[in-house]
Amino acid sequence: MSYYIRYFAFLCLLITASVSAATPIIEIEIRDHLFYPSEVEVPIDTKVKLIIINQDPTAEEFESYELNREKVIPGMSKGIIFIGPLPAGEYPFFGEFFPKTAQGKVIVK
Amino acid sequence: MKSIRTYLLFSLLAIITLVTFFSVLHGYQSSIAKAEQLFDERLQHLAEIIAITNQDREPRQEDSSAHSSSVFFEIWSSELDLLVYSHNAPMEFLTSTENKESFKNVNFNGYRWRSFTLYDQRLDRWIVTGERIDIRYGLAENIVTASIIPIVLAIPIAGFIIWWAIGLGLKPLKTLAIQLSNKEADDLSAVALNESPQELTQLVTTINALLRRLTSAFLREQRFSADAAHELRTPISALKVQIHNLQQKNKYDENELKPLAAGIERMAYVIEQILSLYRHSPEQGLVQKTKVDLCAIAQQVIAGNYESFSEKNQNISLNSESDFMLQANTFAIETLIHNLVMNASKYTHEQGDILLTIRNADSVIQLVVEDSGIGIPETELDRVFERFYRVAGDRHASGMLGCGLGLAIVKHIVDLHGAKIKLEQSVELGGLKVIIDFPRDEI
Amino acid sequence: MLINSVILILREVLEAALIVSVFLALSQKLQLSKRWLMPALLFGFATAAIYALNIQVISQAFEGVGQEIVNASLQVVIFGCIALFVFFIKNAQNHKRIAFIMMCCVSMAVTREGAEIIIYIQGLIAIPELRSPVLIGSIIGAGIGISAGVFFYYLIASLSFKNGLRLGLFLLILIAGGMIMQASQLLIQADLISSQQALWNSSSFLNERSLTGQLLYALIGYEATPAPIQVYMYICSLFIMITLTVRTLNHFKQREII
Repeated sequence: MSYYIRYFAFLCLLITASVSAATPIIEIEIRDHLFYPSEVEVPIDTKVKLIIINQDPTAEEFESYELNREKVIPGMSKGIIFIGPLPAGEYPFFGEFFPKTAQGKVIVK
Repeated sequence: MKSIRTYLLFSLLAIITLVTFFSVLHGYQSSIAKAEQLFDERLQHLAEIIAITNQDREPRQEDSSAHSSSVFFEIWSSELDLLVYSHNAPMEFLTSTENKESFKNVNFNGYRWRSFTLYDQRLDRWIVTGERIDIRYGLAENIVTASIIPIVLAIPIAGFIIWWAIGLGLKPLKTLAIQLSNKEADDLSAVALNESPQELTQLVTTINALLRRLTSAFLREQRFSADAAHELRTPISALKVQIHNLQQKNKYDENELKPLAAGIERMAYVIEQILSLYRHSPEQGLVQKTKVDLCAIAQQVIAGNYESFSEKNQNISLNSESDFMLQANTFAIETLIHNLVMNASKYTHEQGDILLTIRNADSVIQLVVEDSGIGIPETELDRVFERFYRVAGDRHASGMLGCGLGLAIVKHIVDLHGAKIKLEQSVELGGLKVIIDFPRDEI
Repeated sequence: MLINSVILILREVLEAALIVSVFLALSQKLQLSKRWLMPALLFGFATAAIYALNIQVISQAFEGVGQEIVNASLQVVIFGCIALFVFFIKNAQNHKRIAFIMMCCVSMAVTREGAEIIIYIQGLIAIPELRSPVLIGSIIGAGIGISAGVFFYYLIASLSFKNGLRLGLFLLILIAGGMIMQASQLLIQADLISSQQALWNSSSFLNERSLTGQLLYALIGYEATPAPIQVYMYICSLFIMITLTVRTLNHFKQREII
């Protein structure tokens, strides 16, 4: 049992440690299974809060293997995803439910 | 693994599904990739054709009503002024001028487009062609999916066929099992499979060899015991007569002859028991059954052995409400009751009680024999039916002579009549209580 | 579309199918009743439907990170159930408790995986031109996932008690580790635990996008670019699981059952 206690104590510590200062916010809209904007620029080595607003009636799943992010955004709703800090580069993301059209990328500069 | 059939069905189906679906996916991916390549080439050709056929260097509005809305084109000057364009073209230059030929995916007009940009060296201008991704991809996908559907539908069909084929393959095994389960207890004849499969040949051969060996061993044992017992009967009768004669002559001490007489008596008893054991073995097949009166036989047996009870001053009583008719073998029932009451008498001290009860209980006729004797410890209750088994071995508390066959014979007779036997402690008398339930439908 | 449906459904079905098949096979090996399966599946589907119908509410909860919190909690509970299962199977007298643990674990797994499948199918079935590729893709994905489950079930069931138990427990270690890996990723995504730059990038070696990558993601929680905290938690969870497993195996060895 002592494993569990140690484990949870560790978890609590991390949660309190991550109360962060102002994080840049970027909004991405989903319309007709497309991302607007489909390319977003974020600063290097910074944590960023993405707000994904789904204007379609159908749900969409924001997914990026490069960013390690996966989240269902219900239709006519919005979701919050934190990304970063990231090194410079391009990080493609896509809507898993409409992967052929809902495509975009995060460009870290 | 409860059923070979289920195991084979599910494991085969799982393997087929995995292998087929993985190859289908592989095929799908390469088909789609091929299709995309073809579509890209088409965009490229379109741009090249426009570059050759169109000579415009000044802006003009193209009459574009003839164009399908899923394809656009536009021509930009090297200063990125829009020269010619289709009605659905974007009004801004979406691609880069870094490469002379490049593909790019862009969003406009509410759709995602695949666009191709070509630098026209001859007239120093940029030609951009594009196609809606959802439409061209849907087209490719529909073609590929159509070829996949039959494969997916084939899996359940394969499941049915495999189920049926496994059943067919396992049929000889089923036949063998049915043959074995239908065998009567005394049927030691060989099992036969027509066209027995390779895998079962060894099994069938071994079973048949076993059955053969069992038959001969069984016959040998039976013949030997019966013959031996029979052969011993005559000399023992002779011995009995001789000892009787000797006793008459008064020439010898009575006390010296008594153990000799008892020994011969016991030998005769054992031989009679062995003979009756083989007469009543269930393996002997059905014995002749007639309607017998359980009560009458019980009375007869008690009367016939009255001397033994009075010798030990034992009190024997028969408790029976009315006549109980059984479909049974008279001699066997006689032996049964004889063995039970003699057993009770043997293991009950002098002036003890023996009680026979015959009564109706639920759907059976119950014969209960209980005594006030020493009983049998609970741990040994299971073993007393074994041949030649005696409680506590030869150090039997009663010091009585016996051969350990009595209850074994009783068990045989009980089995022969489809009855059930139960041993327990007698509550009223304190000794052993034997309960035998005869099925009533035998009446 | 088809390939995406395959991957999406496969990823969800495979995880649940693996848990179910390992538990079923170990139930057989340990001679436990398998009656927990049906109630667990039914309860799991019911809660999955409730989850899917209320996805909007759940998403907006906890300042927009409700989904991550619910999913991560489910995963942590699944991890806990697996750990308790390994802890309790030492003693056959615990059979009622073990059955309850398996039931909880399977229904949690079905809830999480089922909800996403329901949202996906429900969203896409409404679009006529996508119906056939999505359906065919879902069937293929589910077919592969279930077949893999059947395969593992018979593999464990056909092994000797000793080897079957070892393989089953080994798979449970991997599944449990994967749960913690995914849970920590969700907590990072919700900014509940702080994130650092990825420790390594193995996507050139094995891309997460590939079918193999997806299978490994479902099986052991493979990440091509894991954050240090994820790796740390993964190692911790593996340590817990391996300790419990070794203790259980030693216990069986002492009683000379294996």
